[in-house]
Amino acid sequence: MRHSRHPLWKFGRFLRDANFSHFVVSVVVILVIWSITSATIDNPGRYLPSPLAVALSSVDMLYKGILPSYFADTIRRLVLGSIIGLSLGIPFGLLLGLNRTISDMFYPLLNFFQSISGIAIFPIIVIWWGNSDKTVLAIVLYTSFFPLAYTVLSGVREVPMKYIHAVRTLGATRFQVIRDVLLPGAMPSIVTGTRLSISFAWRAVIAGEMLAGREGLGWMIFTGQDADLTTQVILGMLMIGCSWIILDHYLLRPLEMDTIERWGLVQR
Amino acid sequence: MPAKLIVQGLSHHYPDEYTGESVHALDDINLEVEDGEFVSVVGPSGCGKSTLLNILAGLLPYREGSVTVDGNVIDGPGHDRGVVFQEHAILPWRTVARNIGHGLELQKVPKGERNRKVKEFIDLVGLEGFEDRYPHELSGGMKQRCAVARTLCADPVVMLMDEPFAAVDAQTRITLQEELIRISIATKKTILFITHAVDEAAFLADRCMVFSRRPGRLIATVDINIPRQDRNWNEMSSNSEFTRARDQILKLVRGEVSADEA
Repeated sequence: MRHSRHPLWKFGRFLRDANFSHFVVSVVVILVIWSITSATIDNPGRYLPSPLAVALSSVDMLYKGILPSYFADTIRRLVLGSIIGLSLGIPFGLLLGLNRTISDMFYPLLNFFQSISGIAIFPIIVIWWGNSDKTVLAIVLYTSFFPLAYTVLSGVREVPMKYIHAVRTLGATRFQVIRDVLLPGAMPSIVTGTRLSISFAWRAVIAGEMLAGREGLGWMIFTGQDADLTTQVILGMLMIGCSWIILDHYLLRPLEMDTIERWGLVQR
Repeated sequence: MPAKLIVQGLSHHYPDEYTGESVHALDDINLEVEDGEFVSVVGPSGCGKSTLLNILAGLLPYREGSVTVDGNVIDGPGHDRGVVFQEHAILPWRTVARNIGHGLELQKVPKGERNRKVKEFIDLVGLEGFEDRYPHELSGGMKQRCAVARTLCADPVVMLMDEPFAAVDAQTRITLQEELIRISIATKKTILFITHAVDEAAFLADRCMVFSRRPGRLIATVDINIPRQDRNWNEMSSNSEFTRARDQILKLVRGEVSADEA
């Protein structure tokens, strides 16, 4: 049923949702505490500008076109990095899960790179490509690829033997077992891995822009600190968090609902 | 006419998972199941009856002895032997109808014919109205009905059943047993049914084979001469043939247990 509804209906449901009203309460509480704190400290302009000051600066940056342009830069990097990361990480994880020999070859490497965080790989990438778009993308890709491949690999391995046996006794070939059992059976891990991977990519974009960018939300936070523009720093943080919530709610959650929840593979 | 399923001199050893020692699971098994016959295999746990089923299903390779189905030596799984497992092994990501039609889909049977057969088996097991449901929306009994329909719909020569009703509650089990009788009459399938429940073995089968403890050996065959259409639980408690067969099987199974423990 929920699949066929118009997006606006979905948004309406979101607003009517009890979860949403609880969420509004918590946001209001934070805004009140924030305002009071800001009004009572010395030099709030430097340490903690009021919500109103942040809102006004957002209007100013919107008006000048900086905010939309930085936002678009960051989103572009996230989308590009994630698409490449997903289209490499999912097949790689599947391949490792399906073929013993290949997994014996690559598993130690996967484990090795899992342990080197994106931030630790940063210096070598900067040495290669300097402060460029390419460097940021490379970090995004690196950060999203390994956890995804790893999760998908475990997903294939964890498909219960009873399903494989059942389908083999129905006369399935090896290819049919992969298509009808292993791939759908690995779906929970593919979906969880995708969500994990994109959330890692989102953090990596921001970190990458702070260290090697020329524009984008990460860059905006970083330069805001240098220029003593605390409103810009807070605005950047708000943008990052809010974008993620929207992305998660409208893209990643529906993906889960239509697959693994529909099949009853996870309980919520 | 030769028997549908013939097992000759089948023995099986496998290395223990922890100690690595060779375990003797089956010892010189000889059995035949005739066309349309319903045979049950009963024995204490660890008697190798599941090992036997896995070998017949082609999931476990064997070296000693021979197994033929319809004259063909078995070598790996095939759709001539359908299996209903103890655990619900229907696929959670397929609807009831798509699970039931899965075997035909794998054999590339055209969609029109497939849908017709799927409908036939949905009606046979009483799952009308649940075609588009996913397994997690079904009760335990319905899941097993779906599993039975899936196996039958692929039209195997022999249906192998591995304690298929062990995981459902007592009321449902009785219903499923009576339904299986009705289904076996309707489809005339050759069925080999493995169980540890003596009542079930006697109620369902034309012939019951009793296994000893490990190494699994066939110690006796008990015939149960009750017409299939007369088999329902209301009648059975007062049916002398049923109680005789049941008591005889029970003695054989228990005798084996105490002989082993003494």
